[in-house]
Amino acid sequence: MTVLERQRARAKWQQQEQQSYFGGSEFGGLFLEPSQAVQGNFQGLVGGVDSVLGEVAAVLVKPDLSLESGLPEFGRFELSNMGFGSDALINGSTTGFHINSPTSMTSGCPPTVAAVAPEERGKVSVPAEKKSSVAGRESFKKRKADKVQNTKVGAEEDTKDKKSKVSAEEGESKITTEQTSTKNNSSATNNRETSADTSKENSKASEVQKPDYIHVRARRGQATDSHSLAERVRREKISERMKYLQDLVPGCNKITGKAGMLDEIINYVQSLQRQVEFLSMKLAAVNPRLDFNIEDFFSKELFPACSTGFPTTGMSSEMTNPAYLQFNPVQQLVSCCGLEMGMNTPDMAFRRTMSAPLSLPETYLDTSYITQLQPSSTWDADLQNLLNLEFHQGRSTSYASQQLTGSIEASNLKMEI
Amino acid sequence: MESESQQRIYSTKLVEALRHVRQNSLPTSKSPSGREIRHAADRVLAVAAKGRTRWSRAILASRLSLRLANSRKHRKAKPGKVTGCSRLKRPEKKRSLPAVQKKVKVLGRLVPGCRKVSFPNLLEEATDYIAALEMQVRAMMRSPSSSPVRRSIGSAPALTCKALA
Repeated sequence: MTVLERQRARAKWQQQEQQSYFGGSEFGGLFLEPSQAVQGNFQGLVGGVDSVLGEVAAVLVKPDLSLESGLPEFGRFELSNMGFGSDALINGSTTGFHINSPTSMTSGCPPTVAAVAPEERGKVSVPAEKKSSVAGRESFKKRKADKVQNTKVGAEEDTKDKKSKVSAEEGESKITTEQTSTKNNSSATNNRETSADTSKENSKASEVQKPDYIHVRARRGQATDSHSLAERVRREKISERMKYLQDLVPGCNKITGKAGMLDEIINYVQSLQRQVEFLSMKLAAVNPRLDFNIEDFFSKELFPACSTGFPTTGMSSEMTNPAYLQFNPVQQLVSCCGLEMGMNTPDMAFRRTMSAPLSLPETYLDTSYITQLQPSSTWDADLQNLLNLEFHQGRSTSYASQQLTGSIEASNLKMEI
Repeated sequence: MESESQQRIYSTKLVEALRHVRQNSLPTSKSPSGREIRHAADRVLAVAAKGRTRWSRAILASRLSLRLANSRKHRKAKPGKVTGCSRLKRPEKKRSLPAVQKKVKVLGRLVPGCRKVSFPNLLEEATDYIAALEMQVRAMMRSPSSSPVRRSIGSAPALTCKALA
């Protein structure tokens, strides 16, 4: 029950934030005042109804509009987390209780509150999804059902006994949990666990919130030690990120194990950095060219050639197909007019700098995505035709052409060195 | 992570930055060194990241301080450190035996500004950094470049014919 109240208080805070957010001036201003004032104000609004109910009804009307939106949920929750201060807590906890009360009265209640309360419960379960991503939304509906049952069970007891005492406890625990809760949670476990949490904690009213800041609960058949829980969370974080990296780094699908993956990642980062160095040197050599026709070059010149080199790495393959065919005829024009002028001295300079990073050539041969650099920059008409032939023969041969260009590269460098 | 529009944005920014670099270096009539271009490209990359990642902030921060001073300091520091005396004193100490730890350190050195970052955060930074580097490479490839190795290409067709045949 305490968890529920906590969550309700959170919802309350969210509503407050929203109201300021949506410019709900009257509510927002009111909420910032102490709770008694709040109650007093709402009494006027819902004349004839209990002040508690009135407040709740008024509160719940506004958030209806706002909480239907999906994404702001998380942002709001963050806000509510930050917004917890000691005085606010008291406010929140007492209002939390007020929110509780209508649930007990749903059976024989004014229709407004009855209609609103289930929605409010739904909203309450929303913040509990706090740290989870889309996966949270699906279990959100499950939790709604849970909550409905749970709240009805627990509400009666709550409103009757030990209101203030629990609120005080709750206040402190809220401070500890909310302010220190981290935002990183494994979403799946959290969903399952928090739903298990609420149902279990409803039944065991005496079980106070764990000192856990991340609401992790041991899954079935696993150690329940707090250390192992924390470790498991940590491991899951790490493995999740490793999965992302696996998608990014080519050729990591077959490798299992952190060490191997890290090796690949390191190699990849190093090669990318080397590539950048190489390209920047090349661009430096282009110096006088850059001043005119930048946009033309930029958009047309090297796009298809570079792109065809990329499919193996999957970098820009989606860009290649539409662009490729149109740009081919343009290339020849560009290459002819742009590159026929004598660039001898930059050639020499460039080649000397090329020979400097000696380790590069081997990697260029190995890494297919870089071998096509050379053809992209060397649009002699003949060579270009040759390579176009290669490319035209289909993607499957693009790899062959890359090796071809790799051999060109190697031969160039051998002539230099 | 890197969408097409982001790529375009980065490319345009890169071109502008490069033009800027050349304008700066033209008065002195020297062609900009590769390093300057690289730094400019890194800077644009970091700006494109909008400060949400650690490495981008590190790149921008290092640009604010004197680059040359930094590089000189690093160069001087390295030979000073690697005299090997510290290693001789403790020859048998196995520091961080798990290979993973070593690699984590290496990765931390590679990603700018992430030397002492915790492992999961380091992975996250590395993810972002790799995506950004890929974008940078793509943009720089597209960028106008001449045919610096054109001279050697004269003989290349002979080789290409060989390779084809």
